[in-house]
Amino acid sequence: MDTLAGLLTHPGIWRGRGLARSDTHATGYARLDDALPGRGWPAAGLTEILTRRPGLGELRLLLPLLAALGAAQPPRWVAWVSPPFEPYAPALAAGGVPPGRLLVIRAAEPLWALEQTLDSGACGIALGWPESGRRPVRARDLRRLQLLAQRHRAPAFLFRGLAAAREASPAELRLLFTPQPGGARLQLIKSRGGHREPFELQWPVPHRSAGEAPHGAA
Amino acid sequence: MARRERVASTRRAFARLGGAMPARSAPTAVTAPAGVPPGPPPVSPPLESLFDTAPEAWVALCVAADLAHLDHLARLALDFSPRVSLESDAVLLEVRGSFQLFGGPQALCAQLLARCRAAGVVPRWALAPTPLAALALARAMTDAEVRAGQGVAVLARDRLVGALAPLPLTVLGWSDDTIARLASSGVRTLGAALRLPRAGFARRFGPDALADLDRLVGVAPEPRRAFVPRERYRVRHDPSFELAAQPAVLREIGPLLEALESFLRARGCGIDLLMLRLAHRERPAQHGVAAIPPYTPVALRLAAAEWLAARFAALLSEHLARTVLPAPVVRIELRSGALRTVTAGSAALWRPGEHGGGLGRESPALIERLRARLGSEAVYGLCLVPRHRPEVAWRIAEPALPGVAHAPVSAPPVSAPTAACGLRRPLWLLREPEPLPWPYEALQRLEGPERIETGWWDGADVARDYYIAREPSGAEVWVYRERLPPHGWWLHGVFG
Repeated sequence: MDTLAGLLTHPGIWRGRGLARSDTHATGYARLDDALPGRGWPAAGLTEILTRRPGLGELRLLLPLLAALGAAQPPRWVAWVSPPFEPYAPALAAGGVPPGRLLVIRAAEPLWALEQTLDSGACGIALGWPESGRRPVRARDLRRLQLLAQRHRAPAFLFRGLAAAREASPAELRLLFTPQPGGARLQLIKSRGGHREPFELQWPVPHRSAGEAPHGAA
Repeated sequence: MARRERVASTRRAFARLGGAMPARSAPTAVTAPAGVPPGPPPVSPPLESLFDTAPEAWVALCVAADLAHLDHLARLALDFSPRVSLESDAVLLEVRGSFQLFGGPQALCAQLLARCRAAGVVPRWALAPTPLAALALARAMTDAEVRAGQGVAVLARDRLVGALAPLPLTVLGWSDDTIARLASSGVRTLGAALRLPRAGFARRFGPDALADLDRLVGVAPEPRRAFVPRERYRVRHDPSFELAAQPAVLREIGPLLEALESFLRARGCGIDLLMLRLAHRERPAQHGVAAIPPYTPVALRLAAAEWLAARFAALLSEHLARTVLPAPVVRIELRSGALRTVTAGSAALWRPGEHGGGLGRESPALIERLRARLGSEAVYGLCLVPRHRPEVAWRIAEPALPGVAHAPVSAPPVSAPTAACGLRRPLWLLREPEPLPWPYEALQRLEGPERIETGWWDGADVARDYYIAREPSGAEVWVYRERLPPHGWWLHGVFG
């Protein structure tokens, strides 16, 4: 019986009920850690974040993770595949992500570029906006990405539109993101365990209140 | 009497130049009967005829300072002698050991000059027992003499000083100051300089100048750095049938790449540039049919020196997939860039990231693969620039992971702290500020204003008040109002 219990704790085995034990990275937000299975972002595999459109605050969810992986040794790329705008290096640096590790890839076929990036092993985390490409995103492509991310032990995050929620996906974790004043409303729509109820997340309050009028920045 | 004589052809240079070849001691080698065209004589000269010539014979080929010409001349000179070296304006080659092979100095020089002329170069040339003397004699020639194909040949060392004596001092490349000081004491020719007392000369003009004179007349030896030609890999292949599709082309290139790999492995080198030319049957445009260009070029640039045929093949297949072949390929030409020395590393036991396994060649390989398909500008890194204006506080950088071997980067990335001290900056920046897509009243102001001003020194002056605001759908945005009329509102960033 002990042998069986020991076997069931293996990360590769997921029993339908209860939380799967899998390697995770802390998200940096206590409320989110509590909600996610394994108390953090999957350390290897695909995560989908669905928003109405890009740039609603979903990147801020990942900033602590980017900072943690950006500081990890040995150095590996923090890859951005077909981002909707320019990743702003000073803000990322202020958030703790070393700019030297950022690799931006502008591709008409983001899925191909993501696949290459994950398959190289040189990438510590990949962020992808697959719907900016010409081709529709198919479950088959996602499954390949999921396998590559698992094999090379790198998390991959895909940012997709709300329409993707209706399609099946082999991703480890799927998350619905709605912006709210000062925070966001999140709902897990696929996870290995965890809750399905929507929950709210407050951004940490910036250390300077809105009332202070700053002088011209030098 | 040290009057320098110039004559109108190589043959006559040897025949008539009294200073060069003593007619009595070495008659057969150099005094071919008049009227015989230059070329290798049928009989080799008897050895004793060359006994009183100097142990070395240097030819200087002097051209206008043009590196491409010099390189070309030096390669050509390697056909005549293994001892070739370069000066800033000349190629020097030691030909004493080649006399026998080419049928004597005269025939050798004639062939050498014919090769130069065929290559489109008409050099000033001279033959002398020391390299510096040959150089000096060649530099002293006038343009008219060069056009007439004249040269100077001095084979015997005892005639050397006589030939050099009338030359001006400028031919040695001494500083203007030295030449002016020598001229003020009445010394204007090499002969006069050679007659000066050695100790006094060294004291007044330095030991280097004295050493130059010693090397000039062969009293001191002059070791020279040998010219080593740059190596390239170049191959041309005519397939036995025309290749219409990219896969067929790739199959034909396969063996060429294998040969390239063994060529590179034998030298312990890699290349970071590989050029492929796919030649077509050329056809001009006619009757509304588009012209077919003579060839389709494909250039493969690599982030680090590479030597594996499989990698070249993978990258070329990406390139070819993007290339449109206007016509079937009838010939394949492969040309490498300069060879680079590479050090092969051991393969890692762990995969990168696994148990702390480090990166080897994965990172440059990834960037090459992406760039081969997407183009070089589609893959980039970012770095900070210490500026206060948000749009110039960052810039695109060549992607290179710290601590991972990459090809040398031209500009080192600037790692400066961000100028925004504690002020919030958006994670996304728009490439160009856009007019506000919402009415101003719909925005909820959260922070601001933050005033960012000036930039007159580079012509991009700004005067803006930045605000952090919440737009109607709940996202935070970075907007600014221009302080100058017409006080427009602009969207510059998104707090994604």
